[in-house]
Amino acid sequence: MAKDQINNAVDQQQIQYKSGMTRRDSLKLMMALAASTLLPAVLTGCDSAPVSKTDTGAEAAKTTSEHWPELKLSPITATGYGKDPNLILPPASPWPLTLTQAQLTLVAVLADILVPREGAVPSASEVHVPAVVDEWVSAPYERQQQDRVTILSALAWIDDEAQMRFSKTFVALTKVQQKAIMDDIAFDTAETPAQFKRIASAFGRFRSLVLAAFFCTPEGTKDIGYVGNVPIGGDYPGPTKEAYAHLDKVLADLGLTEYAYPIQT
Amino acid sequence: MKDFDFEVLVVGSGAGGSMAAYELTKAGHKVLMLEAGRDYDPKTETPMFKRNGEAPLMGAGTIDKDFGYYDATVDGGWNVPNEPYTAADGSEFLWWRARMLGGRTNHWGRYSLRFSEHDFKGKSRDGLGADWPFDYEDIAPWYDKTEALVGVCGTNTGLDDMPPSSDGILQPPPKPRITELLIAAAAKKLGIPLAPMHRAVLTRPLDNRAACFYATPCGHGCSIGAAFQTTTSLIPMAKATGNLQVITDAMVKSVDTDENGKVTGVSYVDKKTSTVHQLKAKVVILAASACESARLLLNSKSARFPQGLANSSGQVGKNLMDSTGANIGALVPALQGRPIYNEDGHTANHLFIPWWGHKAQERKELDFPRGYHFEIGGRFSEPNSGIAGYVQGYGPDLKRQVKQNYGAYIGFALRGEMVPNEHCYMDIDPEVKDKWGIPVARFHWKWSEHELNQVAHGLKTAKAIFAEMGADVGELPTPEQAILKGGEIIHEVGTTRMGASPKDSVTNQWGQSWDCPNLFVMDGGVFASNPHKNCTLTIMTLAMRNSSWLSAQLKQGAI
Ligand SMILES: Cc1cc2nc3c(=O)[nH]c(=O)nc-3n(C[C@H](O)[C@H](O)[C@H](O)COP(=O)(O)OP(=O)(O)OC[C@H]3O[C@@H](n4cnc5c(N)ncnc54)[C@H](O)[C@@H]3O)c2cc1C
Ligand code: SF4
Repeated sequence: MAKDQINNAVDQQQIQYKSGMTRRDSLKLMMALAASTLLPAVLTGCDSAPVSKTDTGAEAAKTTSEHWPELKLSPITATGYGKDPNLILPPASPWPLTLTQAQLTLVAVLADILVPREGAVPSASEVHVPAVVDEWVSAPYERQQQDRVTILSALAWIDDEAQMRFSKTFVALTKVQQKAIMDDIAFDTAETPAQFKRIASAFGRFRSLVLAAFFCTPEGTKDIGYVGNVPIGGDYPGPTKEAYAHLDKVLADLGLTEYAYPIQT
Repeated sequence: MKDFDFEVLVVGSGAGGSMAAYELTKAGHKVLMLEAGRDYDPKTETPMFKRNGEAPLMGAGTIDKDFGYYDATVDGGWNVPNEPYTAADGSEFLWWRARMLGGRTNHWGRYSLRFSEHDFKGKSRDGLGADWPFDYEDIAPWYDKTEALVGVCGTNTGLDDMPPSSDGILQPPPKPRITELLIAAAAKKLGIPLAPMHRAVLTRPLDNRAACFYATPCGHGCSIGAAFQTTTSLIPMAKATGNLQVITDAMVKSVDTDENGKVTGVSYVDKKTSTVHQLKAKVVILAASACESARLLLNSKSARFPQGLANSSGQVGKNLMDSTGANIGALVPALQGRPIYNEDGHTANHLFIPWWGHKAQERKELDFPRGYHFEIGGRFSEPNSGIAGYVQGYGPDLKRQVKQNYGAYIGFALRGEMVPNEHCYMDIDPEVKDKWGIPVARFHWKWSEHELNQVAHGLKTAKAIFAEMGADVGELPTPEQAILKGGEIIHEVGTTRMGASPKDSVTNQWGQSWDCPNLFVMDGGVFASNPHKNCTLTIMTLAMRNSSWLSAQLKQGAI
């Protein structure tokens, strides 16, 4: 336990997610982060301290009734990029970023729980997903302002829950404790207990945003397998042999083979 | 333009205005074009290869850029700063405007389907709306000319909703995608055919324009000219004749007339200096887009034309139509985890579902009079802010879900014909004015049972096709819930309709206003009906045909 506390104390200082840069400096920033010994250690979660079973807060969770942070957010009044931004120069989002350091760090930790590093594929924070989340919730447009309320409330809820269950911020929790909370809120289904419904839905919005931000990066786009945006000389080649073969099987399974559209190959 | 002795003044540089300018300048007439938006050069301004990830908010649409950050629309969209419009109580209408050289042709979908004989004579068949004052046969050769000039890919299908182009006119269509082939098989089982979409996209080089290289969202614009936009084709071609001059940032506020009712020219605001200028012209062609041209006419009042210019029939602003629209989609489990390949193609439909129900309508088996088509979507596209879809959990399994579902969502977009009704029109708001003091348009809107029944049919049909693909679209919304807002499909037409009689129409079949022989309308305002097939090919075809007629009149001294 004591060791755990020490670890967390160290973590607290170390996992300051680097903010203040836009993701468009991403290459530069990524290299800087890779060189830094601070961030990856925490974000990949080497939390080896043993944790007792009761420490997952299962008991606490059961007794927690629904709570919801009523945030007083001042509306974003900044202007947008306007109707005629220069589309050729690297774009700028003129509105100020609004997440605090603590919020950014929490976003980074959550984003990496959602999208951890897998082999050579970087984690969400390694490709600056938190910067995109910050840009999104700070934007002066209607949809983003709605998301701002949803997402900031979710962040506040998660820290409140961590405090109620474990008397610490979420970031300071052990992996196992974090996982306990995640297991309660990361599934928004018919079976989700009433007290987690609202947060599960809000967290779902956050999850979609993190996933989008991840897959929109060059690394994420490669990971999902998108192979377009490359000029092709001559006619469009159409599906590959493998893709046609798969279609044949699908048509057969669905009983549609005899209705197949004629293909000129 | 003191040193340029022009004969014809064209208002607007979009599809209609540019085609008119092209046809007239080629025939040797000097043309001056006025465009309210800024000058725009696709060669240097088009963000063709830009990725969503580079854009603010992953390129998501905002009120500043409705169709996404890199969409080619500049200074336009549902909202145009300084240029409001209003809706009457209980009405909702969305009015899309582009304020740039080339207008909406810089970013339109380029779907280019011919209307058929059937489409031009709806009233003769079912008694609703109005017939056009000419037959398909009259316009067919002009469709050929327009398609050949613009560059349209597709094939002749023999389907009764798709009249054939003459041999050698259409460019070959690109191969269909897997998603489209699956839909085609599922639909065919229900007796519904799919066909290559006709699109104003070059699959072969044409004049100075390159063939498509199948890589970039056409909504960004196409600096190589493969996706048709007037700024890479008609305007430079017309300029090359030496007979065209263009003034941008020139907002026309009224059409001026003399005491005999003859049009003498226009007054416009130079937006850069906020000063008003008058220009004299022998002929004025309005091609500012349907509702903008109608607004101009209604605002051009005089003692002789107290209800607005060219409005002795009282029809200016009336008969406002849009296409019907509704979206329906689902995850198709059979497509999950399918083999990935480059599915960009020309980035819009290679196959689509044309209207197949003419015969059933003739037999009175359907409870709606006019047809619709489905545009279809679903491919391995570049990730955007909506890529995640409906997924659960966290960690490696979460990402696996998104990858499984990648390329497995299919969406149908219904586009249907609307019958004009007395509740759908525009007039001038008695109070509100724009920044330049020009009274603004006010919209009145209500869908009728025809459109609602049609959408209900479309939703049911789509559900059945999805079911054949093993997909469940869930409980269907009511048509009232599903139908998109008036104006939302951006095919607004009819406000200055053409007809056979000055009593119930604004122009004759040549787009010449009945009231003033030297005033023409060459945008979608002249449509007598709005078949489900997107309107722009027909706007251009009419502008070409009618400008050719106008040229002959000018040469004969008849105008
Ligand atoms: C996203 C999108 C997708 C579309 N997809 C398709 C499709 O696939 N197929 C299809 O057929 N149609 C499509 N359309 C519709 C199509 O763009 C329009 O039907 C067509 O462009 C109308 O041409 P137009 O010349 O009448 O008007 P516009 O292209 O709007 O041009 C009018 C021009 O006049 C100027 N103007 C307006 N008022 C004034 C004034 N007072 N003084 C001076 N200038 C003025 C405007 O600034 C504008 O540049 C789409 C539209 C959008 C926005
Ligand atoms: S896909 Fe083809 S037509 Fe469309 S913008 Fe790219 S090159 Fe042009």
